[in-house]
Amino acid sequence: MTQDTSEILIDCRNVWKVFGERADDAIAAIRTRGAGKREVLRDFNCVVGVADASFQIRKGEIFCIMGLSGSGKSTLVRLLNRLIEPSLGEISIRGRNISQMNRKDLRSLRAHEIGMVFQSVALIPGRTVLDNAAFGLEVQGVGKAERHRIALDALARVGLSDWANHLPKQLSGGMQQRVGLARAIASDPGIILMDEPFSALDPLIRRQLQDEFRQLTKSLGKSAVFITHDLDEAMRIGDRIAIMKDGMMIQIGTAEEIVLHPADAYVAEFVAGISRLHLVKAHSLMLPLTDYAGPVEKLARTSPEADVQALIDLVLAAPEQAVAIAEGETLLGVVTARTLLQGIRGEEAVEKAQ
Amino acid sequence: MAWRDGIKAFDAAIDVGMVWISNHGNDAFALLRGLLEGGFGAILWLLAEIPFWALSVMVGALGWRLLGWRFGAFATASLALCAALGLWTETIETLALVLSATTMAVLIGGGIGVFAGLSPRLARLLDPVLDLIQTLPPYLYLLPAIAFLGYGPATAILATFIVAVPPTVKLTALGISRTPTEFLELGAASGASGWQVFSKIRLPFALASIMAGVNQSLMMAFGMVVIAGIVGSGGLGQTIYASVRTLDIARSVDAAIAIVVLTIVLDRLSQTAARPQSFKTEPRA
Repeated sequence: MTQDTSEILIDCRNVWKVFGERADDAIAAIRTRGAGKREVLRDFNCVVGVADASFQIRKGEIFCIMGLSGSGKSTLVRLLNRLIEPSLGEISIRGRNISQMNRKDLRSLRAHEIGMVFQSVALIPGRTVLDNAAFGLEVQGVGKAERHRIALDALARVGLSDWANHLPKQLSGGMQQRVGLARAIASDPGIILMDEPFSALDPLIRRQLQDEFRQLTKSLGKSAVFITHDLDEAMRIGDRIAIMKDGMMIQIGTAEEIVLHPADAYVAEFVAGISRLHLVKAHSLMLPLTDYAGPVEKLARTSPEADVQALIDLVLAAPEQAVAIAEGETLLGVVTARTLLQGIRGEEAVEKAQ
Repeated sequence: MAWRDGIKAFDAAIDVGMVWISNHGNDAFALLRGLLEGGFGAILWLLAEIPFWALSVMVGALGWRLLGWRFGAFATASLALCAALGLWTETIETLALVLSATTMAVLIGGGIGVFAGLSPRLARLLDPVLDLIQTLPPYLYLLPAIAFLGYGPATAILATFIVAVPPTVKLTALGISRTPTEFLELGAASGASGWQVFSKIRLPFALASIMAGVNQSLMMAFGMVVIAGIVGSGGLGQTIYASVRTLDIARSVDAAIAIVVLTIVLDRLSQTAARPQSFKTEPRA
């Protein structure tokens, strides 16, 4: 994929966060004898919020962290802008270790590089929508006319320019969250941290905002870390998804990878209810060319990125009930009605072949 | 009778102590007295420069703006009534006393309250002191004040300040300490400095609570200023005290009426100011 070549914005290496009075002892034990979560709780009465998290986020990537409450996802996202100090491990933003930053550099990092959107929105009640959207710029000392111009532009991007002079309480929940997003992008940060921003919204508004958010983030070329407890949301929004449980990242991968190869029973149970129609792509379904008896050249062709939904339509339309998968002029494989059914059921052609 | 001797010794010790303090702290007390009377004098001078009708109309206009024409008319009529009762000088003296003591209470108490709001440890230390101040009868604070500052408005203002300061400290501290966490997080995540978090987030959220404290302090000050009439504060309190002593009940009732209407006017005005403009519900667009 092309993304792999782009710049790494966030680099988390073996990050731990331990809460409790004897956190220092617990960390020493983790460091020296590799104590685990359970031992830390038993021996030191400390709670492990985040255990040994390692991941990288590249420029332009939307990275979703999915987990239930108490899984450590909110702690993890706060480690990324050092609202919470990591107990162990290293977090680098654009190659700079944030644990070693002084207050001034850290403030500058938060003001210019990392925007944040909160579940509670946190719009200041006495300020107009415009002044709320301009808050980050105001903190940076940008002049009034200039920051209002930029904030109005940000509001226009989320479709709220008509509401600039209203107060937050006059807006619906979905609109308020849009203002929160406008506030985050007004400072033009490379990274946006989204802490369960849409969790409190109605399902319909929520889906609308998810699509808008993805479009906006992609069009601006921002990276985002998106926290959610909703796997559907993670799959809709994320380029890659990390599943967290008890402070550990138990799996990181694309939606397709997670659905097709759940790392353990916990993940498998989560993805059981997820519709595969749009997640499973031709390249993971197709049969090798040698396994197809008929003449491949006559088949209609489609790309390896075509999803099951599209494949069903193609296969139904083809008299041979099969479609060839090709990258440019190179034939890669064949999808038949049989492989499609297997794909929907959750069995891969590759596994079957073995 | 050993216990009588004991008490005599106790009283003697107090006398000696007082003499020692006034000998050694004389300059400090003179300075304090000068500051208090200076502030009071300046406010009084300002109020006295304005003719009674002009001041009545000004307060009325303020009331009209903040609370509507009914209250504006009431405020103007109230002040005019004080003048009609022949108590205008006393009325502005009382106002000057209340304003100088309340200003002190707000400046000093507000400052302490901010620190107490930011430091739970300081708040824990202050709480019993403030509770004690509020528990004791306000009358008591005239004693040390008169011992060191003598008869006159300085004593009245100091005692009034002591009585008026606890609500401002308490409610300022409460307001500052109760900033919702998500907004503190917003400040930190936006890269705001400590001062910016205070001025742009903590203070706006605390404003309603602080203004409620100011209103309470003002009302406490009003009550105390009247009591302070017995130490020669001047104003309506002293008028009541003097006329009661000479059994001039009619005049003391006049002064009481003046106090009542003045209290109502100031209370309503400061209560309205306690609702910060920026947190009102009307759309601005």
